[in-house]
Amino acid sequence: MRYTGKGLTRRGLMRSAMATSGAALVAGMPAGRLLAQDEPEKPSEIIVRAWGGSWVEALKAGVSNPFTEMTGITVRHDLTEDNEIQPKIWAAVAQNRMPPIHVNWDTTTNATKSALRGVTEDLSDLPNLANTTDLAKPVGLDGYPIVNTYGYVYVLAYRPEAFPDGPPQSWRDLLDPRFDGRIALYNDGIGFHFPAQVAGGGSLDDIPENMEPCWDFVREIKALNPLLGEDPDFTAWFQNGEIDVACTISTNALAAQQNGVPIEWTVPQEGCKFDTDGLWVPQGLPENELYWAKQYINFAISQEAQQVWLDGLGLPGVVPGLTPPEGLADDPSYPTEPEDFENLIRISSEVQVQNESEWFSRFKEIMQG
Amino acid sequence: MPDRSFRYPLRWHVMDALERGADILWPATFSRMTGWLLAAPAILLVGLLVLGLIQIGDASMHVLDTSTFRMSEAYTLANYADAFTSAVYFKVAWRSLLAAALTTALTLAFAFPYAYAMVRTRSATVRKALLIALFLPFFIGQVVRAYGWLIILGNNGIVNDMLGVVGVEPIRLLFNFPAVIFGLVQYMLPFGVLMLAPALTAIPEETEIAAGSLGASWPRAIWHVILPMARPGLIGAGIVVFTLSLTDFAMPAILGGGSQDFIANAIYDQFFRTADQGLGSALALMLVALGSLIVGAVFTLFGAGTLALGARK
Repeated sequence: MRYTGKGLTRRGLMRSAMATSGAALVAGMPAGRLLAQDEPEKPSEIIVRAWGGSWVEALKAGVSNPFTEMTGITVRHDLTEDNEIQPKIWAAVAQNRMPPIHVNWDTTTNATKSALRGVTEDLSDLPNLANTTDLAKPVGLDGYPIVNTYGYVYVLAYRPEAFPDGPPQSWRDLLDPRFDGRIALYNDGIGFHFPAQVAGGGSLDDIPENMEPCWDFVREIKALNPLLGEDPDFTAWFQNGEIDVACTISTNALAAQQNGVPIEWTVPQEGCKFDTDGLWVPQGLPENELYWAKQYINFAISQEAQQVWLDGLGLPGVVPGLTPPEGLADDPSYPTEPEDFENLIRISSEVQVQNESEWFSRFKEIMQG
Repeated sequence: MPDRSFRYPLRWHVMDALERGADILWPATFSRMTGWLLAAPAILLVGLLVLGLIQIGDASMHVLDTSTFRMSEAYTLANYADAFTSAVYFKVAWRSLLAAALTTALTLAFAFPYAYAMVRTRSATVRKALLIALFLPFFIGQVVRAYGWLIILGNNGIVNDMLGVVGVEPIRLLFNFPAVIFGLVQYMLPFGVLMLAPALTAIPEETEIAAGSLGASWPRAIWHVILPMARPGLIGAGIVVFTLSLTDFAMPAILGGGSQDFIANAIYDQFFRTADQGLGSALALMLVALGSLIVGAVFTLFGAGTLALGARK
């Protein structure tokens, strides 16, 4: 597999420069004192693709703004959707053009596709990787074409008013006819397949060979006319009283709650999908910009940056010793200890990437039927 | 003796200079090619489109290798086979066609009286008001209009609020097929009216008076005289509305609640969600073929209407 098309000489230079500069950057030295001799020329700005709303605000507070303070480099956030920036990056690399962004904040599954395609830079020389947990390492890939930066859970978010007897215990509780038209799922089914496999009577060990129990359960849910959308849709639908339950990332539920939407979340007995997001750098950047893009990621996995960034997202990071945000210490959406993961479902990105198209097609077939 | 005080007007000098310049750029010996020169922009535009279609055609004949996320080297028709044998694409194509047909019929039904009133009214104020009402939506993009309907037709929207006043429980007005059709008709209405208005303007009002003088009531005059004479406008408007509806993306995406996809949404999914440009390209070409076949059939059966720009059938 190829993570960079550039020569070893540059890699060697990068490594030696980063070994000394990384510590200085994380330590928060003023811009003027940062490796005046070794550091490459600073670009006026770097562009980081991000998700909007509370996601980008958390990134600004925890990573981008401190990075600018330390380096003097402005960070511009490009809010193009992750799946829409992907073909643009792929095309730029294929045509030997400069990619449209310096750093891509991406789902690990999506980023794995780019890594398999060979359009990502190798990040294994980031000094701060030494301080991270195993979660930072992408599973099934050589080296670090991506650095995972935190984990998240696709929880079952619900309106407490719709569940007067307490939170739903099982995904099968959604099959109650009173939820006809009141359930929301992601429009590609992401986050729902694996708990649906269990709720449909199947086994996680059968993934991906036999997903029929999953599709059976999806058909049962389809009979209740669920709404299919994206993150912002869920918040709007909860806010407008359109839905009672949704399978969504806990951060969205938390953001909605913080905005005054009456919403709670739970991990039902069948479990919830646990996955990761990460940062990566596309190939084709000038050497100095590549250096600073990597410095940005290196800073993002420092304890200082993770604490603030992930406080905003309400998610567990990849650095030991982070203090959980208020109220999330024992929350099932904030797993930190091995026992916290017992009821969470984690399937390797490799399996997900190779079967995503097939799963998407089956999900659509049922939902569009 | 000639009058030496005579001076040619300045614009004559300007025109002479332009003519000399044109002679240098396009000498008279090239005059037989002038038609091609005038057609050059159109040829360039169509040429670019054809080039794009050739590239899409090429991409459609390669399958995605999910171990490298690159297109395979080998040429194959597997993507077309997938598209033709997939129940979901058949369903989505059928829904797109049905929606386009319904939207066209409803849009023309609303656009005809609107255009008729706009053309025939004797009040300049009413005509201006109708024109403003027609053009205002053009300043608001399709996506914004669709979100507007989310606010108006939502469970907590104005319509349900009004129903609540008379004791009716909130009704789910959104995220279904009728909601998509409703949004499309509202979006297409200005296109329909603007295509119909010139055709109605070209029908002399005297024909209606003549029909009336021969004993026809106004509805009979409309049915037997105006509608047949407006056929070119109806065909032109119908083709424009049908093709735009068939290829629409935003209305089914926003008002359909994720379960009312059109072909354009399926193409988007392949390009941007599963990164399968091969299958996406195959679907895109099939959409182009489907639309072209239908429009070709209409042209053959009924002529091109006002789109023929006066040419004989």
